[in-house]
Amino acid sequence: MSKVVEISPTTRHEGHTKLTMQVDDNGVVTRGDWLSLTPVRGIEKLAIGKSMHQAPKISSRVCGICPIAHTLAGTEAMEASIGCIIPDDAYLLRVILQCANRISSHALHNILSLPDMYLPGTDTHINPFTPEQPVRSVAQRIQKLREVSQTVGEIVGGEPIHPSNPRVGGMYKNISPRAKLKIYDLAKEAIPLAQAQMDFMISVFKDWDARPMASVAGGKEVEKTEKFGFHDQGYMATDTLYGSSSLDLDPKWYPERWTEVRPWDWYQGELEVSLEDPDYPIGGTTPVGTKVWPAMEACTGVPLYDGTPVETGPRARLAMFKNYDRKGAMGLQIARQMEYMDCLYSMIEAVEALDTNGKVVADEIPQGDGSLGWAANEAPRGTDVHLTKVKDGKVEWYSLLVPTTWNFPTVSRALEGAPWQLTEVIMRAYDPCVSCATHMMVVDDSKKVVARKLFQ
Amino acid sequence: MVLGNYKNCVCARAADPAILSASQDGGIVTQLFAFALEEGIIDGAVVAGQGDEPYKPEPVVATTVAELMEARGTRYTICPNVSMIKEATRSYGLDKVGIVGTPCQIQAVRKAQLYPMGMRSVGSKVALAIGIFCMENFSYQGLEAMVEDLCNVKMESASKMDIGKGKFSVYTARGAVSQIPLKLTNKFEQPGCKVCLDYVANLADVSTGSVGSPDGWSTVFVRTKAGETLWGKAIEAGYFETQSIEDVKPGLGLVTKLATDKITKNQKNLDERASFGVGKGLRNPYI
Repeated sequence: MSKVVEISPTTRHEGHTKLTMQVDDNGVVTRGDWLSLTPVRGIEKLAIGKSMHQAPKISSRVCGICPIAHTLAGTEAMEASIGCIIPDDAYLLRVILQCANRISSHALHNILSLPDMYLPGTDTHINPFTPEQPVRSVAQRIQKLREVSQTVGEIVGGEPIHPSNPRVGGMYKNISPRAKLKIYDLAKEAIPLAQAQMDFMISVFKDWDARPMASVAGGKEVEKTEKFGFHDQGYMATDTLYGSSSLDLDPKWYPERWTEVRPWDWYQGELEVSLEDPDYPIGGTTPVGTKVWPAMEACTGVPLYDGTPVETGPRARLAMFKNYDRKGAMGLQIARQMEYMDCLYSMIEAVEALDTNGKVVADEIPQGDGSLGWAANEAPRGTDVHLTKVKDGKVEWYSLLVPTTWNFPTVSRALEGAPWQLTEVIMRAYDPCVSCATHMMVVDDSKKVVARKLFQ
Repeated sequence: MVLGNYKNCVCARAADPAILSASQDGGIVTQLFAFALEEGIIDGAVVAGQGDEPYKPEPVVATTVAELMEARGTRYTICPNVSMIKEATRSYGLDKVGIVGTPCQIQAVRKAQLYPMGMRSVGSKVALAIGIFCMENFSYQGLEAMVEDLCNVKMESASKMDIGKGKFSVYTARGAVSQIPLKLTNKFEQPGCKVCLDYVANLADVSTGSVGSPDGWSTVFVRTKAGETLWGKAIEAGYFETQSIEDVKPGLGLVTKLATDKITKNQKNLDERASFGVGKGLRNPYI
């Protein structure tokens, strides 16, 4: 007989989410829902009526982990709507920013993933904060990679967190020749570190994949199932590194293939928790008897591509453009590590091509006629699509389709067939970043609809 | 304590005649930055560069001695150097920044280091802060009125401006000199200067100004450990000629007198403000 178990809240990722799952007698998930509990922030509504220069700065504030991705996607969506082509040197500066953002985010995610993993050859979970070797040197390497990428972001973007330099029409400022050299040196310094980090992380993830038993950090060892974290959904990616926009001659994302389902039509209805484990880290699972209602609690819409959930992120990029084919949660983790080197080499290429005397603002910045423009940025977690309509310099409509929103329904499918005690490992493999994913709810009459649904 | 804490005080001037040829007084700021640049103590310095209009400076990041030379001399108006300090660490890619400023600007730099709101990772990159003595400053429109209306000199023809011995003087390239008594310039002062209690840039690493030294020389206060190390090295390398401050006229006595005058006068303004209005008073920016 199936039982209902709930892990709430889930930990070691950005934002607030929970896992509500129906499990069979062996504790294997038969139907799982991963849903966001982060309150709606309303960025899309806030942007309406604001100037096109201000809106991307607002959307950057969605989250401090990939503000660069949101700034770039937002700025480029505005540019796509008004039909503004930016100078080459401005594009190169944005590519450098993009690489810096991805290295920083991937390195941070290493810290979040490591506690579930084992030191290869032992049964000890890795505590990234321990002063003991070899973990200490791994942690230092991670921090060094983050320092490098944050410094590059600071030089090119003006700020390490919410970049101030990108603007509609290009960038406010080019960098000095000295700053160009500094970026080059920093990237060179990071290459051997990233190489070592990639090798270490891949060996750790492969080791986890090969184990018959495993646990989350502090949890009980359970038998792993075959095809752990597999799903049969497709992939969505627009580029290996940067992205695509509606200004491209050959756009790689198609708004007409996107549809959206409301959460109450997608997630499970009312349930009562019938299985609990007070020892599950940290603080146990939700107590037996608690009423849960995922369909009403979820704070995101469910975006579909060709009518079905898709996976987006490192594996999607590598699968679509580089024939990568490792499935499962660890397949995704390994794909993420494989992106390190590409970021650094692309950063070096871009910085070499950059002309520090080149102009970085377009000569003419049209004010827009209200036509739809979109830009997809390959954020660390996946394709971050911003859509907008700009008229007379003001934003008329703005929508964010962010990576983790795409991944929510896909992860829910990937949970099936896994022991429930290990489902957080699957969820974490997607490097969830939930605060931005929540904005999906904000469309025209959603408030009204939600209210009516709750009254019934 | 009107002169702040300092480790030593000397009368000095730059040893490089090229610097002295267009410096205001002893060429201390230019020479010290040039030395720090050559020694790698700073990567660049935020200085008051040439703006679009005559005697209207704009903050620039100088990373070579040639750029420093462009910025020699005093322009008696506001140059928002602190606004550039963040950019120096960003698109200019500097790790060790030097900055020159009036006492209030040095206060702002120190405040940014202590409370880095909007100044993330800037504070640790300030390697050298040079302060200049300042009695008061003028808005650009005020300076224009003083030069063009009171001194009857076109801004474009002025080759040097100077304040000293109770007079504001404008020199032209053709050799004419116009002087007005300082009390005529009072009404052109910025309002903020009337509550300032710092004459000799108490918070700088090194502060300097002409007061107290003979013409062509400057009085230098070395205040911090960083300043002392740098000054010591520069003296050793022969970058400055020095005289003991006790041996020169008018000496430290005049600096003390002017600093006391400024602080006494402005403290009075502050006290008046405290009881200004009904039961409220204006805020004292120093508390």
